[in-house]
Amino acid sequence: MSMDARNPAISLPFPAADTAEAALSTSEVESEVINLFDHFRNRLLRYVLSFGIPVHDGEEIIQEVFLSLFKHLRRGKSRRNLAGWVFRVAHNLALKQRIVNQKSKETVALESNTIDRHLDPGPNPEQQMASGQRQDRLFSALRALPEQDQRCLFLRAEGLRYREIAGVLGMSLGAVSISIARSLARLERADIR
Amino acid sequence: MLGLWRAWSARTYGENMRDSHVHLSDRELLLAADNELIRGRSAQAQAHLNACPACRERLREVEALLEDVSVLHRSSLDPLIQDAADGRARLKVRLHELSGKSSKASWSAPEYAAAIRPRVAYACAALFIAAVTILAMHERPRRITGAVIAASVAPAPVPERRLTPGVARPVTSQEICRLPSEGNNADVPPMVRRAVFQEYGIANGRPEDYEVDYLISPTLGGTASMGNLWPEPYSAVWNAHVKDALENRLHELVCDGHVPLATAQRDISTDWISAYKKYFGSDRPLSGGDVIKDSRPEPNS
Repeated sequence: MSMDARNPAISLPFPAADTAEAALSTSEVESEVINLFDHFRNRLLRYVLSFGIPVHDGEEIIQEVFLSLFKHLRRGKSRRNLAGWVFRVAHNLALKQRIVNQKSKETVALESNTIDRHLDPGPNPEQQMASGQRQDRLFSALRALPEQDQRCLFLRAEGLRYREIAGVLGMSLGAVSISIARSLARLERADIR
Repeated sequence: MLGLWRAWSARTYGENMRDSHVHLSDRELLLAADNELIRGRSAQAQAHLNACPACRERLREVEALLEDVSVLHRSSLDPLIQDAADGRARLKVRLHELSGKSSKASWSAPEYAAAIRPRVAYACAALFIAAVTILAMHERPRRITGAVIAASVAPAPVPERRLTPGVARPVTSQEICRLPSEGNNADVPPMVRRAVFQEYGIANGRPEDYEVDYLISPTLGGTASMGNLWPEPYSAVWNAHVKDALENRLHELVCDGHVPLATAQRDISTDWISAYKKYFGSDRPLSGGDVIKDSRPEPNS
């Protein structure tokens, strides 16, 4: 079994060049940014909402991310790893927004009872109940992890490579792998209780 | 599985693989899955994995747990995510502005609407403030101010189109007609309820005052996304129970072939009160009498 096949890296809707050697017109950059919006919007919004900020703030952050991306590309800056770039900008904006909202007490508490049971139905009611209880246990254990460890897992859930997660969170690759291995051990302990 | 996990959990996560007889650590398995081990170590790890059923099993467990986390993450947040069309149109307009383009000739209707919406809102707000200021200078300022405040907090029986345009999944009338016409609206999860109240600026939305309702009902293909949910007051004459009657009627009309599904979805999402009048042929809610005037459930029920 080859390990390469399991790589969850996000594929871009077009071949990403290393540099902007091929100067694009403003209209072309606009259309590229819209393509990237279509590609990343839901994943970015989900990640931003995991900070507990309201949806309308999350939507505004996504707008800001892609306006910044437009400026970034129009200035001819690097196109290397645009997936990591948009997630890093979204992460920083979400952190700022959460601080603002905490001052005005406007945050959304994430709860396990929001989990859509229909996503993982068992073949009979007993199995569905057992599955639901396991999801509750995992959810509680997940939310009890340190913030940085949760961020690593959520970014992985959105399809980022460990190297990209390191870039978004300003950590080393080794630190990301340690964080995720430690989190998995904690989640497994919660799972077998 | 438990024994296997205990064997692994006894190890240090950062442990290096010293030789091919030592199992791969979780950390090495994670890095190897992303092709991030250094070249020599990567070949060694792949060779070990090929030869070691225990490590392959452990890799499957690690991946399964990561997948479980992904499912939890998505399923807890996806109900909050609305359709991207409005955000996309808004972004296009803002990119145009950022580019310094003034021509609006190439804009589509949704883009143009997205462009003028904030300006219209600001203009309306300015007009409203001006009107209130002028009225406040009138000879009976207290009564006027009270009326304005009362109007601003009175629950509205129709949703704000900006927040709740109505969202339906791609579905055929044959598919929805397999569903019963009644009792198919799943309860909205508490967190989503709170998010809906928050979007509508309702500080303490009580279950006895509002039903967080689907604008396009699931029996007509409506989804549980934020763009299809709004706090519908029980206290209004045109309340949640009246709308339920309309939903049932439309489901029947669609399934009897009298009304196309798309028409039913459009009518109920554009103005459900007008749709009620149209499909019941009445300017007032027909059933319930006194119940319709104030159909709030008992607080302890």
